[in-house]
Formats: sequence, C-alpha cells, structure tokens
Amino acid sequence: MGSAALGQVLTAFAAAPRKATTFSESEMRTLRALVDMILPATDSPAASAADTHYFIDLAIPACATPAAQKTFRSGLAAFAGFDQLSADKQVAKLKSRAAADMPLSYDESFFRILKDYTMTGYFLSEIGATQALAYERVPGGFWGDLPLQPNQKAWAI
Amino acid sequence: MGTQTYDAIVVGSGMSGGWAAKELCEKGLKTLVLERGQQLRHVTDYTTALKDPWQLPHNNRATNADKAAQPIQSTLYLYDQSTKGMFVDDNRYHYEQAKPFNWYRGYHVGGRSLMWSRHVFRFSDLDFEANGKEGVGVDWPIRYADISPWYDYVEKFIGASGENPALPQLPKQILQPPFEMTALEKYVKGAFEKAFTDRRLICSSIAVLSRELNGRGPCQGRNQCARGCPYSAYFSSNGVTLPAAAATGNLTLQPDSVVHSLIYDEAKNRVTGVRVVDVNTLKTTEYFSRIVFLCASTLNSTSILLNTRGKRFPNGLGNDSGELGHNLMDHHNGGGATASYSGLLDRYYRGRRSTSMYIPRFRNVTTHEEKFKRGYGYEFYSGRNNWTRGVETADFGADFKNEITRPGTWSVYTEGYGETLPRHDNRIWLSHDKLDKWGIPALNVSMSYGDNEHAMAQQMMEDAVEMFKAAKLEDVQGFNHPVTPGSVIHEMGTARMGRDPKTSVLNSHNQLHAVPNVFVTDGSFMVSSPTQNPSLTYMALTARAADFAVDKLKRGEL
Repeated sequence: MGSAALGQVLTAFAAAPRKATTFSESEMRTLRALVDMILPATDSPAASAADTHYFIDLAIPACATPAAQKTFRSGLAAFAGFDQLSADKQVAKLKSRAAADMPLSYDESFFRILKDYTMTGYFLSEIGATQALAYERVPGGFWGDLPLQPNQKAWAI
Repeated sequence: MGTQTYDAIVVGSGMSGGWAAKELCEKGLKTLVLERGQQLRHVTDYTTALKDPWQLPHNNRATNADKAAQPIQSTLYLYDQSTKGMFVDDNRYHYEQAKPFNWYRGYHVGGRSLMWSRHVFRFSDLDFEANGKEGVGVDWPIRYADISPWYDYVEKFIGASGENPALPQLPKQILQPPFEMTALEKYVKGAFEKAFTDRRLICSSIAVLSRELNGRGPCQGRNQCARGCPYSAYFSSNGVTLPAAAATGNLTLQPDSVVHSLIYDEAKNRVTGVRVVDVNTLKTTEYFSRIVFLCASTLNSTSILLNTRGKRFPNGLGNDSGELGHNLMDHHNGGGATASYSGLLDRYYRGRRSTSMYIPRFRNVTTHEEKFKRGYGYEFYSGRNNWTRGVETADFGADFKNEITRPGTWSVYTEGYGETLPRHDNRIWLSHDKLDKWGIPALNVSMSYGDNEHAMAQQMMEDAVEMFKAAKLEDVQGFNHPVTPGSVIHEMGTARMGRDPKTSVLNSHNQLHAVPNVFVTDGSFMVSSPTQNPSLTYMALTARAADFAVDKLKRGEL
C-alpha cells in the first residue's frame, strides 16, 4: 500500500464513529451527556472530548463489582433520554439523583459510581491530566516548598 | 557433573541474595544464584516504567480479572496495572493460612528488592539488648559494635539519602542529603520542636539517591519505584548488587529454579549441594557447592530447611532446638491519625517524592512504659488534596470542575510501625503429605498479634492524635485498624540467631549451629523485630556472614 493510500485509510479510520463495546448507542448518548454535566468544558475541554464515556464503557464491565455493574446499568436506564432534556432539566435531574444516592453504599449508588468513573476516566486521560490539570511524566526531581503560581493547576498524580 | 559444581550456591536473588552474590563473587568464589522466579532484566524488563496513566489499561485501575488471579496481592497499596506484573499469581503459589496472613511477594530475579518501600534505618543497642534485658525470646548474639562497620559498608555501596537521625535509638548513618520537606512538613517540624523534647519530624533514611552515585540516579521524582527505576535511582538487586556480582565473571544466575531441599552428607556433617526443580519442565537437577547461602525470603528459606529431613535431622535441617519455623514476626501499623490544615495555601511542590517523613521512636527509649514493651516510629505523609477529593461529594458542573482542578487544602497522614514480640506459637510448618506441582510440601502459616502489640497500637493512635493537635492541625482523627499479619511485608524470624544451639537455629554469623557450611541471611534470622524497616540489617549481616564464610573456607574450616 502506497503512503497516499495509507493516509486515506487512516483519515477514514479517524473519522469513523467510535464503537462502544458494552452500552447501546442510545445509552452512550445518555452517558456522554452525563459525563459532560459532571465535567463540562471550562478553560479545559469537557469530559466527552477526552472520550470519558468510552472509558466508562470499557472500565465498568472490567473493573466494577457485579453489584456496582447492576446498579450502573439500571441507573443508566433511568436516565434514558437525558441527552434530549434542556440544560436546566438535566441539572435538576442529576442533582436530585445525587441527593438520593449519596447516602447509599457505593455499590448501590448510581451517582457515586458514575462520578468515580467519570473523574478517573477524565483526569487520568491525556486531555484531563495535561489540560485540566498539570502532569509531568518525569518531573526530574522533587522541589518540596514552592510558591503557588496564580491560577496554578493541581498535579494529576 | 563439572558444570554443576560451584564454590558457593546462593538461593534467592532479592535483597539478601543479591548481596551474598556480590560479596562471594568479589571474593573469588564461583557462585551459582538460584532464583525460583523468572528472569527480570534491569531497565529492559521494566515495561510499564514510563507509561502515562492513559497508556495503561483502564487508566491504571485493576480489573476484576486481576483481582481474581491475585486475590491477596491485589489488596496491596502498591497494586495497579503498572505493578501487577511484579507480584505472584496467588492461585499458582498457594499457601495455607491457618490464621489469616497476607504474603505479598514477587517471584522474579531481584525479588522484593524491586517493590520494597526503601526505608533504611539502622538498629541500635536499644534493639539488640531488649530481648536479653526483658527475658523475651532469646538474646541477640550480636551487638551494635558487631554490625556497625557493615552498616557503613552497605550504606556506601547502596546509596541512601535522608536527614541523619543520629539518635541513640537510630544511629548515625552514611547518607546523601535528604529530599526537601513540604511547607506543611516544615511547619509541623517547627511545631514539634516547640511542643516536645522527645519527638521530632525528620526526612526518612531511604535507599533513593538524591545525588548521582556511580552512574546511578539521582531520583527523577516519579514515585513509581515499584515499576522498576530506569534511572537506577533506588537500590535493587537488579540495578546494583547483581551487576556488581556479574562484573567479576564469577556469577552464574539461574532463574526458574526452585530449590526443593538441601543435600546433606551425614558422615561429613556438611551440606554438599541443593536439589533444584525446573519451574517449567519440572525436571530435578542436583547442584553442588562448598557453602550454601539461603536468601530465599523468610518463609521460603525456612521451608527449604524444614523440607531437608533425614536420620540426623528428622524435623528439618539444623533443627536441634525445635525452634525452626517458630517465632514468626511482622510489624504492625494499625495505629495513627489523619488531619487537614487550612493554612499555607500559597505553598505547593513539584515532583513526586518517593519517601516519607519519619517520627523516630520515643516510647521506652529513656522512659519505662507500664502498658507495653518496646516502641514504634511513625511514617508521616503530607500533600495538598488533588482531584480525588471530589469523587465522594454530590457536586458537579463547571464550578465544581474549576475548584477541584486547583490544589486543595493540605492533608496529613501518619501511621506507626510497631515492634512485635517474638512468640513461639507464631509459626510456619509444612504439610508433607500435600505436594505442589514442583513436589514441594504445602506451607502453613499461623500468626496473630498479642496483648503487647494491641496495647501498643492504642498508644500509637493516642500519640498521633496528641502530636497532630499539638501542631494545631485540623479535623484530627485517630485510627486503630486491625492488621492482618504479613501486611507490613516484614516477615521475620522462624530461624532465629542465638548463642545457644539448644534454643536457636543460627549462630552470631548466620551459620547453622549444627551444619557449619549453611548460612541463612534473610529475615528468617531475626531474633526480635525492632521498629525499623529491616532490609538494611539483612544486607549488612549478609555481607558480614559472607566475609566470615569465605575466611573460614580459606582456612579449610568449612
């Protein structure tokens, strides 16, 4: 394959919509709206820009306990159509779910599981760690006591 | 047969085995190092060392499948996608927990010298004299003067840094300058100086280079040591002692070789070699040597002795005392405190320091406690809260994101590391009727903490709370968690040293009382547990025992 043809293939691959492995297309739309409600675009990109919903699609079946997976699936079903709601309604719905879920144990709480995976997915992604936060793979040493700079971001790890 | 005969055989390639290999090779002995785990080459095989979180599966979060394969190892604080390959598959390497015991380990060249916590304090005469003075267990057959030059020798070679404690209970060391304290740590240090005469906060002594040494380091501030260090900035067998041994041309390092037992010649009263099972082919081969160093880790070295049985030693090689397998110890770290601090919001740090701060032992040093014997030192950690502080709240949205992407308030954590008294009924033994796929009997472990440890843990918590309050830290919360033995990963004892062959297994040179050409220099030799992390002492006594052994060998006395 010539390099021009390879270029076309790569372009097509990049443009192709990413396929979810666990959740349906409509569930992924709901999830996308939920992660962006938790971590919207600010001076850094929104959670969905870092594919946080795709992180969740892979990590929930791999890492969550069976009980948490069950809670998450039924919680997601209860939010069906969330992406179609107005912003105000989205905020109100998620707030009320958060209030109801916070007293529950982690495995029983859709909101806590969602927030955990949203934050881990985003803040440890390349976009989250390097744009929303600060990250150095190899800091080069340790400086224990420095003045905090104006508007300085926290370290990702 | 020729290629299977060496001057010395070292069983194990970790903290102690690496030192035995280096010392014996440098003294001219053709040395075979047998490692039951797989090869793990320095730097080349540290495959996750420089991975970013997003380059690891699930952003470095362990999966249910990982936890099923490693149900014990995965409970360790170090365990994640980047480090899981350093730890054993628990289902493959089964042991019987007569009482709950967490055995964290890695079977590969270098052993736990790759994943250790790197703290290196010396023991003092407060430690070496305690058993004798109190009538606990048996007296250590050595004193600080015996080991002091060997601490010097080891510290110079491994390269350690820290704020030299130079206290009677923590003797002066040969150290590079310490890593810097955070603003919060400086503040607490000052507060302790005002509030206490017997307590201070210092930077831990740690086998991490703050300056370059022999082409190694300095530390690059990654704090991902357990993945292996591409900069050789912390001490490991793989990066430091094994290369020194190999450089002599006298080293043969053989991975995938589990030692079944030693070969004992009753007529000569000497061990003539070892029986090795190839981990993959299950083929048994005998290797021969003039001396054997057991450095396979506490539980495994003692298991090899227990599995070497015959007419002269029906209950395990060198077990005339009946103490082999007994007096198992680990530290306990259940007591401590957490706090926060809302000041110093204009100070931050850069880099990820791979060491703790430390509060040296102050109980039963110059005073006498009524409630318990011995004492504890604390590890102390501080940092400004990061994004994870937002996981457990109901908040979300732009304001929430803006807030948690900035450094939060300071949080502070300390936990004590307490001495555990040796007790005869804390022990390991073999089930000779239950063999694993390599033909090695199942290992049973039974250990519990006693009244002394429980009383101490309570005081550990109360002292931590008192110190945090004295420093005017906020939201001070004490804790006193139950600890599963093994969890501190300082298994010690089971082949203790001592003066009297009737009550101990090894003499003052780590030599079996009963069989003079066998030396045991890992944690199994420990007579008491002090409060300090023990690896530095294993290294120093390994070097000392190697010096003694080679001297005796040259005199024809082994």
